[in-house]
Amino acid sequence: MANSEFDWPAKPSLVGTRVNRVDGPDKVTGRAKYTFDINRPGMLYARMVRSPYPHARVVSVDLAPALRMPGVKTALLVRDFANSKNNRVMFQGDEIAAVAADTEEHAMDAARAVKVEYEVLPHVTIVERALDGTAPAVFNGGNVRDARPAQAGDLTAGFAAAAKVVEGTYSTQVITHTCMESHGTVCEWSGDRLTAWISTQGVSGARENFASALGIPQANVRVLCQYMGGGFGSKALSVGAEGLMCAKLAKAANAPVKLMLDRKEEHLATGNRPSAESKIKAGVSADGTITAFEAESWGTGGAGATSDFPLPYLYQSKNRSRTHKNVFTNTGQQRPMRAPGHPQGSFHTEIIMDELADQVNMDPIQFRIKNLPPEAPNAMWRSYLLEGAAEFGWSKRHATGDKTPGPIKTGMGVSINTWGGGGRGPSPAHCEITSDGGVIMRLGTQDIGTGTRTLVATITADALGLRASQVRPEIGDTAFGVSALSGGSTTAASISPGIRVAAVKALDALKEKVAPALGVPAASLIASGGRIHVENEPGKGMSWADACKQIGPQPITADGDWRAGMSSSTTSGAQFAEVAVDIETGIVKVKRILVLQDCGLVVSRLTAESQVYGGVIGSLNFALFEDRILDRNTGQMLNPNMEWYLLAGMSDIPRIDVRLKDQPERGVIGLGEPPTVATAAAIALAVRNATGVTMRSLPLTPAKVLGAMRQTRA
Amino acid sequence: MKAFAYINPANEKEAVAALSPQVEQSMPLGGGQDLLARMKDYVTQPERLVNVKTALESTVTPVGGGLRIGAAMKMADVAEHPEILRMYPAISAAAIEVGTPQIRNQATVGGNLNQRPRCWYYRNEEFVCFKKGGDRCFSPQGENQFHAILGAGPSFIVHPSSLAVPMLAYGATFRLAGPKGERLVPAANYFTLPRQSLRMENVLAPDELLTHVILPAPGNVKSGHYEVRYKASHDWPIAFATVLIAMNGSVVKEAKVVMGAVAPVPWRSAEAEQALVGKSITEATAAAAAEAAMKNARPLSQNGYKVDVAKTAVKRAILRAAGIQTA
Repeated sequence: MANSEFDWPAKPSLVGTRVNRVDGPDKVTGRAKYTFDINRPGMLYARMVRSPYPHARVVSVDLAPALRMPGVKTALLVRDFANSKNNRVMFQGDEIAAVAADTEEHAMDAARAVKVEYEVLPHVTIVERALDGTAPAVFNGGNVRDARPAQAGDLTAGFAAAAKVVEGTYSTQVITHTCMESHGTVCEWSGDRLTAWISTQGVSGARENFASALGIPQANVRVLCQYMGGGFGSKALSVGAEGLMCAKLAKAANAPVKLMLDRKEEHLATGNRPSAESKIKAGVSADGTITAFEAESWGTGGAGATSDFPLPYLYQSKNRSRTHKNVFTNTGQQRPMRAPGHPQGSFHTEIIMDELADQVNMDPIQFRIKNLPPEAPNAMWRSYLLEGAAEFGWSKRHATGDKTPGPIKTGMGVSINTWGGGGRGPSPAHCEITSDGGVIMRLGTQDIGTGTRTLVATITADALGLRASQVRPEIGDTAFGVSALSGGSTTAASISPGIRVAAVKALDALKEKVAPALGVPAASLIASGGRIHVENEPGKGMSWADACKQIGPQPITADGDWRAGMSSSTTSGAQFAEVAVDIETGIVKVKRILVLQDCGLVVSRLTAESQVYGGVIGSLNFALFEDRILDRNTGQMLNPNMEWYLLAGMSDIPRIDVRLKDQPERGVIGLGEPPTVATAAAIALAVRNATGVTMRSLPLTPAKVLGAMRQTRA
Repeated sequence: MKAFAYINPANEKEAVAALSPQVEQSMPLGGGQDLLARMKDYVTQPERLVNVKTALESTVTPVGGGLRIGAAMKMADVAEHPEILRMYPAISAAAIEVGTPQIRNQATVGGNLNQRPRCWYYRNEEFVCFKKGGDRCFSPQGENQFHAILGAGPSFIVHPSSLAVPMLAYGATFRLAGPKGERLVPAANYFTLPRQSLRMENVLAPDELLTHVILPAPGNVKSGHYEVRYKASHDWPIAFATVLIAMNGSVVKEAKVVMGAVAPVPWRSAEAEQALVGKSITEATAAAAAEAAMKNARPLSQNGYKVDVAKTAVKRAILRAAGIQTA
């Protein structure tokens, strides 16, 4: 692509530096208002009514007892349960109705007063029973669905060429998104115009969602999300039943309504990462080449949702076959969760990689390198594995099984990852420079907690030669223009080009105003260090404030949009883990994690590192703690809380070293998902290296670690 | 949460008078770390709460060579109290591991001893179990990885109190105040097995208050306390143990071995104690005593690993009592 003035600067002043979050003070002082904090005059509070059963027919619903409760203004069904074709609830937490009252407490009491008569039906919540046919047939068309098989090469020949063959069954569990801020909405109508404050990963998508579901023009809907407490995919694709019920209750009550879910509802009904199990048989030749990879897999994405994942993940085998079964169960449906499919594929593949490496007495890193696709800018694993090994002290890694006496065994593991994370348009941005020196960068994106405001301010200030604090980012409002949802690690790559284009155009306009006063051609001017001046002659210019005085009463405005060449897609990364395992208690402690990760041009280094920390911690939780536990008899969830649904606390989080591998020539690439893929496998492999026991199932509970060790001894 | 009346009595007598003989009708409120959560989850729905934080003592008083601890004392204060640490270090060790700093700043000694089980069947309103007046325990045929391996049935909860274990080991007596006056109940007789009392975990009547913990002079004992938690931050122990030993030269004269999170009560193991008497403490004798402690363990379908974890806790508590470093 030809050079253009919009290209990312070769010597940026702020892009790629460590700019503190511009909204940090607002967050720590509580000035930042999350959806939960929005309160409108005369606002009501609403609660959902949900099925306590995983599978039941709703015989009748009587809202009258709820309507008679103190403070109750209105109550609505989510659908007409008198319709016999649509009167079944398919999971615990499935929506029945919603109630709005003057206080949250009244709404909670009233929701419990709604009288629902259920005919409890046989349920399927155990995947094995769905597969072996002992579960009741619940889903029309069967509980188990075959996905498309995939085949390449000649499996028989591949196994014939193998010196060694490894077979194993691998599994990863269902986990839930567990956003710190629950899903929720505040809706307010003015005639047939709706304003919705919603904890969402996409204000533009939410507008479309509200309008089409409510049968009103999109032009009549304004959606706002200024701050949100966590979005890992569950808030990306829809405003949810709770969002629509909030709008409907507000209309019916003719008053603003707030409807926030509680923790139990979050676990039951707002999505999850599907389970994944696989039976893998792989062959390896004496020189360490994977000759054959045969995998059958299955998993549940809940009631009528899929569970596929990539397998094998990243490593190559000429001869391979893969079949997958989607198992439907009476549980809440899956939703995209941070790197959908990749953490599962990574775990299932990486564990057998170390088993194969041991079979041919190869170091896990050499074995990985042997079976990777060729090195390329978007496939840098070989370099990262070698560089990471040197920094991590991989040469001190002992062979499988720590021979040190005593109950504490240590070990190391490594794993790799990839993700797309490309950007696309339309993603317009609008810049204003005012005569008082003010700069506004306005666009309809949202900050899902990743630090988007800081990125907006950094790019803008970089282009204008200012400090980030001199820019006011305005985001999180459909009034600011369309923008893509923040999902799939696409936000930074989608919005960054348009921001730079708008800022550069605005600066061009400012130069035109300033040039006559300085008596120089506009083209000779640059913005740097808070001044507009002739390039290489800082003295020949004026301060930003003086320059802006030339603007006059009408601000400078400029618009930009995404441009090809300023962003790209596909990242690579490698992660190293060291653990200590107490073999007398089965407790795994992660001691340190090293991350090597690229994301093209690093725009905002601190928020990029922060993404990596969050991704690693999320994956550590997947490895050790998180597990949706259902009672095997009733199918009801036993840990819909944060007491027995375990999440790492401060003392459970190890030292995490982040090495961002800059590739500025590739433009901006997203970083949301890649760092959460590889940690779990690296930890499990470190446990294997420590104990000599292969852990093929997550989470690595004390029960499983002790059980595996007992089995190995036997 | 069901609406409730709130009583703020000035003293113990008024507090007792505000209670009711009916189960879960009028309930004492300490730090509320357990009770309020149960009320929010509709597991316990009292008509009336009686605030005992000001009515009961929250101080430590020397008495007869030992200490008397007021039931309203905060867990954080217990953990930091120099006399408790000097005389009963296992109690300090147990207190500092409870919950989080926020919880310890609210939770009280009385609340810790009388909190209800953390069993997930009890805590989810969908399951009407023995502990809620129902007719069964869901755990034996259900998900029992955190349930009891000793002394259980027909309910398989584990007792949730961390303080109860070292207090039992140190021979504590609890002072209870009721409508007919006070009574003194040794900790060893206070906690009840499900086969003695299915719904409740102790002898405290609904119209009684636990007002004080009275600890006798500790004597010349060494102590060790060891807890095993899945997570390092904010988690319940999988198993833990307090061990006290009195030495006669290089051999054990007398031992107390009490385990937590393994049984529906804090569980004293006479078998482990006997295994230690007359022995010097080594890795081998500690392991043998731990083995003895688990001799009668009856694990359920998914909690067999707790036998190993409990053995480790007992062994390491014994070694620590003897001043031997452990993992």
